[in-house]
Amino acid sequence: MIQPQSHLNVADNSGARELMCIRIIGASNRRYAHIGDVIVAVIKEAVPNTPLERSEVIRAVIVRTCKELKRENGMIIRYDDNAAVVIDQEGNPKGTRIFGAIARELRQLNFTKIVSLAPEVL
Amino acid sequence: MAVPIALSLAGVGACVWSSGEIRQLGRVESKLAESSSKVYHHGWLHCKCFWQIERSKNLHLKSRYLLTCKAKGEDSFTQNANEDTDDMFDHLFDRYGKVVYRRNDKKTRSEEVDDDAESLSFAVAMAKVANEVKAGDIKVLFVKPLVYWTRFFIIATAFSRPQIDAIGSKIRDLAEKKYGKVPTGDSKPNSWTLLDFGDVVVHIFLPQQRAFYNLEEFYGNATQIELPFENQPPPFRG
Repeated sequence: MIQPQSHLNVADNSGARELMCIRIIGASNRRYAHIGDVIVAVIKEAVPNTPLERSEVIRAVIVRTCKELKRENGMIIRYDDNAAVVIDQEGNPKGTRIFGAIARELRQLNFTKIVSLAPEVL
Repeated sequence: MAVPIALSLAGVGACVWSSGEIRQLGRVESKLAESSSKVYHHGWLHCKCFWQIERSKNLHLKSRYLLTCKAKGEDSFTQNANEDTDDMFDHLFDRYGKVVYRRNDKKTRSEEVDDDAESLSFAVAMAKVANEVKAGDIKVLFVKPLVYWTRFFIIATAFSRPQIDAIGSKIRDLAEKKYGKVPTGDSKPNSWTLLDFGDVVVHIFLPQQRAFYNLEEFYGNATQIELPFENQPPPFRG
């Protein structure tokens, strides 16, 4: 359940460390974003000497949420943190590697690039 | 050797549980209290295991669930346990565990091999098409042992966006006509175009992106499939 002003960790090596959601892309008046949704975010904290800088506005895909993700078979996945992966306008990830486990729902949502860079897919 | 069971749930903190499991835990705890006479303690209890079969009442399936959990230990045993936890659990499972739920859609080994062969022929056909459109440095990787979600990766380099478009549309056409498969993934040519056929995933990169993402290194342990056209000399150009 990510909404504007939510802070998220960054799950890739793009150089950003922490994001703040400022808009959810999709419907015009959507309240919450979940795993696989694209958000517009601002970088709150970045690693020094990387292409991404603090206060830059970027797009990101949510890959982990503290809010449970329910599957049809009754499985429930809940992560410890809210995390996102920085992408560009074309949907390519800005980093080259993803950290941590991600859900396979991302593949159905056409983020197979992120899935193929991830070390573990749940 | 009996299964050590942690009586106090307070000590059980190392796992990440879904809320469903946690809801069940309450019931397990009460059950444990009832059946405390059956609980055995052993010398190496420092690493506490929690191993209990419980009948679920809320679920329609009335299937039995096996809850396993490892708690944090304080002594050196835990360091060893990290190394051979899998062996330990396998051993415990062999002795005391039983399969309580098995998915029905699991395939037999021969079916798996058939599927692998089918995907391989499809992947090689796709690589051939890419080669016809002059894609460079085509690699077919058997990634099934590494990731569960696909079998083959085809990685190819194209040298311009129109070429990416050409390779992508040719692959799409052939897959649809000959194999009846429609890919998901990028519909427009992109600097990293991905076509997802389910068992085969095609990555077409521009040279710069290929070096940047370096997928071959990430899947370095995957076996590379030899392609039939690789050793052929390039066609004569007049």
